[in-house]
Amino acid sequence: MASNEPSDNLPLADVLRAANGLVAAGLIADWALGGALAAIYYVEPFTTYDADIFFIPSETGLTAGIPAIYAHLQAQGWQVEREHLLVRGFPVQFLAASGLTEEAVREAEHIDFEGVPAKVFRAEHIVAIAASVGRAKDKARIEQLLSQADLDKSYLAEVLQRHKLRLPTL
Amino acid sequence: MKPEMRQKLAREPFAEKIRKVAQLIQLAKTFPRRTNRHSMNRTGR
Repeated sequence: MASNEPSDNLPLADVLRAANGLVAAGLIADWALGGALAAIYYVEPFTTYDADIFFIPSETGLTAGIPAIYAHLQAQGWQVEREHLLVRGFPVQFLAASGLTEEAVREAEHIDFEGVPAKVFRAEHIVAIAASVGRAKDKARIEQLLSQADLDKSYLAEVLQRHKLRLPTL
Repeated sequence: MKPEMRQKLAREPFAEKIRKVAQLIQLAKTFPRRTNRHSMNRTGR
């Protein structure tokens, strides 16, 4: 059981380890880091206040197994605060993937973070997801990724076409 | 910040960038501004 003392560092390794534990426990089939922290894998660091873990559920019920995920992590000392689970005071959101985000999980990049095997969304999928959401901050994220990440332009075009998306005017 | 410097930061190892994010969060806590949660949306979640 991991300590749940608040930390000055981002407990990302704990988050990734816990996600792997959910797979080992059969509670989820697969997962990947998405959201702002996934973007930071490719661009300059910026302030963000939580981690988004997108998962492919093991079961196809309405709840996507989320109650069991919460119970499993709470048993390991994680705390619940509204839609987030907290590890060492750091909020983590577990989001059931579907459609574009499910594809993003399946095709995510395999990484090693401080000795923990993990997956992080490809930059092209982060761009496509931002294009599908379309808020001002999503446009800013697209702009940042286009200028700082080494995007595979043809792969990005395929993803956008497959999901009937277009990049916004920046 | 110059684009070259931002590009250099983008190319740092992920673990180093995560450490910098933690520092940014600490700074935001130490020097809170009313607009923190909104201004982060320019590039954050």
